[in-house]
Amino acid sequence: MSAAAGRDFVRQSQLDLAQPRRLRSVWQVVHIDPVLFVGLLLLCGFGLFVLNSATGGDFAIVRRQAAIMGGGFALMVVLAQFDIQFYRRWAPTAYGCAVAVLGLVLLVGVEKNGARSWLDLPGLPSFQPSELLKFIVPMLVAWYLASRPMPPRFKHIFWAGLITLVPAALIVLQNDMGTALMVTMSGIFVLLLAGLRWRLVFTGVLAAVVASPAWYLFLAQPHQKNRILTFFDPYLDPTGAGYNIIQSQIAIGSGGLYGKGYGNGAQSHLDFIPESHTDFILAVLAEEFGLLGVLLLIALYLFVIARGAVIALNATDMFGRLLAGSLTLTFFLYLFVNMGMVTGLLPVIGLPLPLISRGGTAVGTLFIGFGLLMSIQTHKRGGNSR
Amino acid sequence: MAGKWQLKDHEKERALFANRLFVASGVVVFLFAALLLKLIDLQVTQYDYFASRADGNRLHSQFVPPARGLIYDRSGSLLADNQPIFNLNIVRERVEDLDQTLDLISTLIALSAEEREQFAQRLQRRRVPFSSVPLRFVLSEDEKARLSVNAYRLPGVSIEPQFVRSYPSAALNAHALGYVSEINRDELDGFDDQTRENYGGTNHIGKTGVERTYEDLLHGQVGYEVVEKNNRGQVMRRLERTDPVAGRNLTLYLESRLQAVAHEALGDFRGAVVAIEPSTGGILAMVSKPGFDPNLFVTGISNADYSRLVTDNVNTPLFDRTVNPYPPASTVKPFIGLGGLQLGFTDQETVIQDPGYFRLPGVRYRWGDYTLRTAIGGGHGETNLQRAIFQSCDTFFYDLGYRMGIDNIHDFLSQFGFGQNFALDIAYARTGVLPSREWKQRTRNEPWYPGDTINSSIGQGYMWATPLQLATATAIAANKGKVVRPRMLAAIDGEPYEPALPDDGVSATVQVADSDHWRYIEESMTMVVHRPYSDVFRDYGTAYEAIARADRQMSYKMAGKSGSAQVVSIAQDILQSSDIDISDLNKDHALFVAYGPAQHPSIAPQIAVAVFVENGQHGSSVAGPVAKAVIDAYLLDILQIDFAALEVDPDALLSDAGATEFAAATNRLSSSTEHLGHRHD
Repeated sequence: MSAAAGRDFVRQSQLDLAQPRRLRSVWQVVHIDPVLFVGLLLLCGFGLFVLNSATGGDFAIVRRQAAIMGGGFALMVVLAQFDIQFYRRWAPTAYGCAVAVLGLVLLVGVEKNGARSWLDLPGLPSFQPSELLKFIVPMLVAWYLASRPMPPRFKHIFWAGLITLVPAALIVLQNDMGTALMVTMSGIFVLLLAGLRWRLVFTGVLAAVVASPAWYLFLAQPHQKNRILTFFDPYLDPTGAGYNIIQSQIAIGSGGLYGKGYGNGAQSHLDFIPESHTDFILAVLAEEFGLLGVLLLIALYLFVIARGAVIALNATDMFGRLLAGSLTLTFFLYLFVNMGMVTGLLPVIGLPLPLISRGGTAVGTLFIGFGLLMSIQTHKRGGNSR
Repeated sequence: MAGKWQLKDHEKERALFANRLFVASGVVVFLFAALLLKLIDLQVTQYDYFASRADGNRLHSQFVPPARGLIYDRSGSLLADNQPIFNLNIVRERVEDLDQTLDLISTLIALSAEEREQFAQRLQRRRVPFSSVPLRFVLSEDEKARLSVNAYRLPGVSIEPQFVRSYPSAALNAHALGYVSEINRDELDGFDDQTRENYGGTNHIGKTGVERTYEDLLHGQVGYEVVEKNNRGQVMRRLERTDPVAGRNLTLYLESRLQAVAHEALGDFRGAVVAIEPSTGGILAMVSKPGFDPNLFVTGISNADYSRLVTDNVNTPLFDRTVNPYPPASTVKPFIGLGGLQLGFTDQETVIQDPGYFRLPGVRYRWGDYTLRTAIGGGHGETNLQRAIFQSCDTFFYDLGYRMGIDNIHDFLSQFGFGQNFALDIAYARTGVLPSREWKQRTRNEPWYPGDTINSSIGQGYMWATPLQLATATAIAANKGKVVRPRMLAAIDGEPYEPALPDDGVSATVQVADSDHWRYIEESMTMVVHRPYSDVFRDYGTAYEAIARADRQMSYKMAGKSGSAQVVSIAQDILQSSDIDISDLNKDHALFVAYGPAQHPSIAPQIAVAVFVENGQHGSSVAGPVAKAVIDAYLLDILQIDFAALEVDPDALLSDAGATEFAAATNRLSSSTEHLGHRHD
């Protein structure tokens, strides 16, 4: 930097102190990103609105979900108060603890819905430690890669892969493929954002494409094979494995452009849509509000994702960038997998629609992620990129 | 380490990251675009298809079965009713472990291996997913209670009501009423489109008897409704409804009190009783014994019950003896005698000398007097037609029949319904055989021999008649020639029913020129029952001992004729399978036809009866009392005619007491038919 530039900088910063600083200070002091906050509020409000119809106006469920979301917002704001450097410092410790807890789950975990992933310790509410890995893994990978040269070299890719795959493997052992997949992807996203060479990316994709038939033939469990088969033709087993997707498509298709109106979704209210509160809630939305309703949801999601991307781009250091980018992409992956599954674009993978589906654990994890994003956005060191 | 730090180019790395984020954003936008295209495909392009699929999911047009018409007897007693039953149904898709559930159920209620087997078969059939499959029909209150208490342990198991036919009189009216049972494949295939539609919601159809004959009236018209169902097939609301039209309520001529008396009077014998009201042809009683419980068939008879019914070759409970032909034997004598009088082959005074047998001119073979076979022997001596009837003299009829010839016998007897089905609404009745030259040539390809005529003149040989036909002929005799057609149905929904007579060339009256012949025949038949023992050798009525002498207080006269039919042959399988004494099965069938009151100055005959007792051996002493019991019950108990009071002043009905009594009696008579019209609302 030249001297003139330095002077300019001083003057500008004084100017900055005079005007934008006051503007900035309101949000910087409370450590809230207003744009993301508003986006999330709109999403949650819309989610409660759809949930109210999906549950047939069961106010108890809606109120409980609203309470969970309120808790989520509170958690987000609390987490945002901590400087992102604090998280960076504690990332290895948190990772070590989380992996240890995963090991504990394998020993004393409780099984729910087929996955032995719940920890039910005395004095604590039962929770899934694997959820924590959804942000701890990208955090540690970002911690690791941020201080290494970019694009990462082979050695770094190896270690980053190991950081990702060790907890993922433990989660697979818990028989929770969905979470394992999301954890793995959150780590891979960091690698991709860190500039993993395209050559390697394409090689990886190609390897996956080549390996998938082998996986299908030798490793896939019967219910997984079933999901793949019904993805290609739901009518192979219209009352069994294909039932969900057929009924869901009927609901979405019959919604048309404008929908049947709030509370008039016959498919959901007559219980033809399975899991209409949770994984398949998009079908309720699409049936009652039509294509326009889904477009509104997509717009809200895009808004949040775009804000996440802006935060990543504006982050002051590489750790913040990588973490914010990975969290944002994981959020997208989440909603896209769900929407793709419900519309029949992807095979059935049991993931909820973020912030719309009923459920507590997923909301908690998401808001931790958003809390980290806000921390990245609101704890900046005077514009220095370091 | 420090060297590495120096290698880092922050601006370059930042640019790389921005580049990667930009690419990721592109991918995000691309994937959202793909999602959008998919949504447009579903919601815009294929909208019509999915919209109709959604309606097809929830809207179901379903049939509403009509309530089956009820059946009443002549006095208004309910013979066939519709009762709600409760069935135990299972929705397979909602049961996790079927065997475990069935085991649990069988600890609560008795569940036979057969029921489990049948349930398994029902599950195998093609069916709508989430539809309920019956496991057990007709739960008792107790069973319902025990299942309800445990309902929480039995997801997918439900108790559902259904209306089904119920026959309160059980076996008593089984053959006449018939029964309904599940519609079978053949019946379904036989329906035309309109009928199939009309039976869309109906499970049962009349299989036999009145239930079958009047199926069209009883069934009614199906209704429709459009309902919205949820994914488990539960009806959430009704959107449209066309009410079904219930079937018509039928009133029969049948008198269930008379049925009970006939049933009782037959005792342990197998047999049949048919009673007809001579003025209308209405069938007052139609009992075939042994009967069966028609209720068994309604909800599907168990294999054990069914095989018990069909493998009983001796009692054959499912077999309707009232419409099955047997040799009528001597019961045809009054009719042949009347024919002889009408056609001039004999007259009231002509006397023959009976040596106890008959010979055709120039033939050595003797036709013995069957009636005397077991008696002391010898003949009846001097015998005219009257004596030939009340003493049942075969020789007289051998001679008369031989001279009349089979053509005359056939033509005259056919006026009484022999060899045909006169019944208006009993299509399943058999016609028996009234033999003729043409018949023998057609069925046996043999010419008619004179000896055939001789057997026919005493109701044996080729002649076969059903108890229904005998009762009909007797009713026509009671009417003194007015032909009536037997029928079951008296009223529809309380409106008296007068069927159109079929155009089958049946003459309305039996052609008898001199009405004194009728009087003479009635007198002769009355003598069968009432002519007492005297010093004259063989001068009493054959049924005097068993009827008039057994009831010296008898207040009215009854005309009758006994018959004992030779058992032709016994099927080999019966001989082998039966634990019944074979000598019993070789015994003659006992027959008796009768009507009453006979020879009454003011009251026409009210009832004509034919009784058939399988292996009953003696017409007069076994079948006669059954006829007497039925006629007694009808005249004295049901119509409540006080004959003694009527005879206080037999000549003039002008005296006060007599007139009042008579008026009362005739009122009861007329009201017994009149009240048919306004019994049911």
